[in-house]
Amino acid sequence: MLDIQHVSKSFGRVAQPVLDDFSLTAAEGEFVSLIGPSGCGKTTLLRIVAGLLPATSGDVTVAGVPSVGPSRDKAVVFQHFNLFPWRTTLANAAYGLEIQNVPKQEREERAMRWLRMLGLEKYAHHYPGEISGGMRQRVGIARALAIEPKLLLMDEPFGALDALTREHLQGELQKIAEQTSLTILFVTHSIDEAVYLSDRIVVMGTHPGRIIREFAVDLRRPRYDYNFRAEPEYAQIRGEIWGMLERELAEDEERSDAAEDTTPMETPA
Amino acid sequence: MISARTLRDPTMLRIGSVVAVLVLWEVLGRLDPIVASYPTAIVAAFVELAFVDNTLWPAFATTLQGLVVGFAISSVLGVAIGFAMGRIRLVDLILDPYVSALYATPRIALVPLLVLWVGIDFELRVTIVVLSSIFPIIINTYIGAKSVDRELLDTGRAFAANGWQMLTTVVVPASIPYLFAGLRIGVARALVGIIVAEMTAAVTGTGQLIIQYGRFFQTDKLFVPVIILGLFSIVLAEVVYFLQRRATPWANVERIR
Repeated sequence: MLDIQHVSKSFGRVAQPVLDDFSLTAAEGEFVSLIGPSGCGKTTLLRIVAGLLPATSGDVTVAGVPSVGPSRDKAVVFQHFNLFPWRTTLANAAYGLEIQNVPKQEREERAMRWLRMLGLEKYAHHYPGEISGGMRQRVGIARALAIEPKLLLMDEPFGALDALTREHLQGELQKIAEQTSLTILFVTHSIDEAVYLSDRIVVMGTHPGRIIREFAVDLRRPRYDYNFRAEPEYAQIRGEIWGMLERELAEDEERSDAAEDTTPMETPA
Repeated sequence: MISARTLRDPTMLRIGSVVAVLVLWEVLGRLDPIVASYPTAIVAAFVELAFVDNTLWPAFATTLQGLVVGFAISSVLGVAIGFAMGRIRLVDLILDPYVSALYATPRIALVPLLVLWVGIDFELRVTIVVLSSIFPIIINTYIGAKSVDRELLDTGRAFAANGWQMLTTVVVPASIPYLFAGLRIGVARALVGIIVAEMTAAVTGTGQLIIQYGRFFQTDKLFVPVIILGLFSIVLAEVVYFLQRRATPWANVERIR
């Protein structure tokens, strides 16, 4: 479904690429999380897949079609929601369909179905400034789902929310993932969130951004109706990823220390 | 003695201040009516000009006509040019020198030249209104188009909006507050421009009325168009503000919060 082959990305004349030879595939209906310290290029990768950013080299294919720009097959849920403040909940949710020139009545009906599913029908005519952060991100999710994409790209979608709201939306996202055949690429910095939601977790390292290891999460689904954190597998994966990220951070510090040692000391005049 | 309660509800204080100044003006003005006139004489002059010899309203209508036509042209053109410059680099590069230079030039200095080109009547009024008001509109619209939140631009692009859709669904709505800031400055400049042009070149209009009364030391009459213009500019600002609130209902929400 999603096929990322040897994608590299460098910005400007900086020698070290942000992403170096990154390859990843995801099957239809699979939920894949990218996790890693800040600066590992996970958001850059998501933007490349979304078509918002060109890769320096490498190819991205979505549903067998080379992905070189934004398309109807893909939808993005942003970290800071990115709702249009001048649009009501309904008009925001219907935005993608409006861009596709779906007639007004049809697009509002289709958007409304998702709003209802996410418990927002009462707020359909509110502006983003009138609703809470959790509701705003529900609108963001409804807007993405309304175009019925094959691939859903989520960039730390719950990162800006409080813990309780976050957990609630994680549960809702799981239900949606169950009911659809959506392939989801999910960027996060929360190990717990990654384990809770994912079929597969891709751990990334920095300088350059690359894959360190992949984990399959075999915890029984659905995970929202039992205490998955009590399962031994949860503790095991969590521990392994935690150790890996810690090692990566320590090594990264050593690497940058080493880099500093090679730069000449500034001598006072 | 001003109590805390008076400061919390300042209406009485405001009215008191205005009344005090009017009374003072009345008393001092009577000492030498040619220098400053006084409120009751001005009211009498207003009644005479407005309802007896009927000179005020035709002059005001002449000014208003030029203002409305000129400002309509300058709003449409200014907004279009502002967006074109903000979104199309080529247009920006081509027009920027003229916009910058003309914005810096006191447009009133062009009145003698404009008289040569378009005469001293309706066309002069429209031209000076356009020249006075279009640049703040262009520049504010341009800034609005340039300062659209990058994340919102990304959002439009992520949903595969084409160039025209980006303009209509992201850039234009995001720029509306800036656009109205330009209109507010523009309408004030337009009023100043047309009055000065009428005072210096035209033989009719509100500005010319002021000049005539000044020449004949009819100070009480002179104050009538001045006060009318003052009130009118308040009305204009309120109209623009009203339109802005109508055009940006979402901003009202955020203002309240």
